[in-house]
Amino acid sequence: MLTTVVGSYPKIPNRPRPARLRAAIARSERGEIGQDELRRVEDEVTIEVIQEQVEAGIDLVSDGQIRWEDDQTYFARRMDGFTIDGLIRYFDTNTYYRQPTVTGAVRWRQPIAAEDYRFAAAHSPRPVKALVTGPYTLAALSANQHYGSFGELVLTLAQELRQEVLALEKAGASIIQVNEPAILKQKEDFPLFGQALERMMEGVAAEAHLYTWFGDIEGLFPRIMELPFSAIGLDFVMGPANYEIIRRAPFAKKLGLGIVDARNTKLETVEQIVERVRRVSDVVPLESVYVNPSCGLEYLPREAAQAKLARMVAGVRRAQEVLG
Amino acid sequence: MSEGLLTTTVGSFPKPDYLAQARNQFSLGKIGREELMALERQATAEVIDLQEEVGLDILVHGEMERGDMVAYFAELLNESMAISGLVRSYGNRYYRKPIIIGKLHWQGPMTVEMWRYAQSLTAKPVKGMLTGPYTMVEWSFDEHYESRREAVLDMARVIHQEAVELEKAGARYIQVDEPAASTRPEEMELVAQGLAVVTEGLKAKTITHMCYGDFARVFDQIARLPVDQLDIETANSDYDLLELFRRHRFDKEVALGVLDVHDHRVETVEEVKEGIRKGLEVLPPERLYIDPDCGLKTRTWEEAAAKLRVMVQAVREVRHELGIEG
Repeated sequence: MLTTVVGSYPKIPNRPRPARLRAAIARSERGEIGQDELRRVEDEVTIEVIQEQVEAGIDLVSDGQIRWEDDQTYFARRMDGFTIDGLIRYFDTNTYYRQPTVTGAVRWRQPIAAEDYRFAAAHSPRPVKALVTGPYTLAALSANQHYGSFGELVLTLAQELRQEVLALEKAGASIIQVNEPAILKQKEDFPLFGQALERMMEGVAAEAHLYTWFGDIEGLFPRIMELPFSAIGLDFVMGPANYEIIRRAPFAKKLGLGIVDARNTKLETVEQIVERVRRVSDVVPLESVYVNPSCGLEYLPREAAQAKLARMVAGVRRAQEVLG
Repeated sequence: MSEGLLTTTVGSFPKPDYLAQARNQFSLGKIGREELMALERQATAEVIDLQEEVGLDILVHGEMERGDMVAYFAELLNESMAISGLVRSYGNRYYRKPIIIGKLHWQGPMTVEMWRYAQSLTAKPVKGMLTGPYTMVEWSFDEHYESRREAVLDMARVIHQEAVELEKAGARYIQVDEPAASTRPEEMELVAQGLAVVTEGLKAKTITHMCYGDFARVFDQIARLPVDQLDIETANSDYDLLELFRRHRFDKEVALGVLDVHDHRVETVEEVKEGIRKGLEVLPPERLYIDPDCGLKTRTWEEAAAKLRVMVQAVREVRHELGIEG
């Protein structure tokens, strides 16, 4: 059993530690520092949050998405065909993103996250997984003013984002995670979703993980097991039905077990974590389980995020002792 | 002549520069609470003066003493709430997210003194302003309660006590804001239960403000919310919510948002009159109040003043055209 994160990590700590990235972004917006200086601070903070994950005992870390303003615009800004519009709520959170609007043919121009991956991998003592926002979610959370149908946009994005997956692979990423929370809100789109992901992952040799959050996969299981991924990440906090759903058919993939609530500061007890692992232990062999928080950690203050990870690791260690 | 189309605002006003600076100095420990409070009162008096000068009918105190509508109350409920730390809301913006750490209970008046001060400066009614229980809970972490419902209902008892205190002090209008209600329309029943506890037994006119959301499928529940007046954002969504009032029975008063508070541009009198006329197509003037979409705190003082002047002018013209008294 290994521990990992879903992706994002809080960008700034609380007093007395300085909020360096916040200050650097503000100075960059005022034109007081250039892109190189901002990049240097992002680098420092990336190293810092990798260290915090490692300190907490995480086996497979991420770069914390420190350079990402959100999952959507980080890609949309760097591809052709998008403009960035007004603020809109991200699912049912109290977090907002600027909605990308598709106004022309979407096209991947150059690697988006590959350099970030290289940097993180070079500065991490543990393996780093690369993260990509999936074509379905990127399309669903954008406004489409160009393509004749939503499906056409999703399939085109899948083809273009495939270039990004290949670029990450070329940069050395051995695990690439595709994030697709939006499919849980429009399950009837599963055939389109499947077609898009098949297209996106065609010829990819790296280990591919598919992550969802903010709900359950009722109606998608076991079909989701046919997709070209070796691990499926599920949110068992906002989607407690997942515990029952995954019992209905063989779970012949690795499971991303999201059992620690990344949207509330209340710490789970070690016993609760052991119990949640136990609930899936007869469905998925423990060596095929990645334990992780229910979603990205940016909904928590920095210190609470690290405390969550440390508690999660303690729970997993205890579960390993108890459940063998 | 009939009466109607009373004008008001949603609650917050922009903080003058000297107050923004003083709040910053206070947070760094460079000035004391007394000094900050004196400046909050000075700014409140300016907010009242501005509303009098513009000619609004029902005033607000402007929330000069509040930074964030949830954290303000959380800090005063310090036996059961704390501030957890900074959480990003978007871009480079962060807020200090409160956390429920114990059983919620009212510890003493939180808003009465400032309301009383503001009301002492004007003969017009000043609204008492509270944050609703659903929003208080939704925008906080919760380390104490087993369920959201329990937390919301206990918070509702706290806010109810505060409403009672405001009423005792003389408030004739009490507004209980629930901007978080649009986050999960499926929880509108819980929003309603919380508001029912807050408004129980109050004689003051009760109002709730909600931000734009997918209200169509829960409109029946919204129509039954236990308040006298529903304050809604409409200008920034081209008044499409009004269609719901056309299709469903609705007996409450409505405060119609006719100014887009997220836009720097000052509306024209004609645009605002058009919005008012749309409101009058579905509601009689005596049940229709006119106000901005949302709080004005994100606008500059000058933008806020200019927008309100246009709004009042538009209302005067429509009243004149229809023979309505203010």
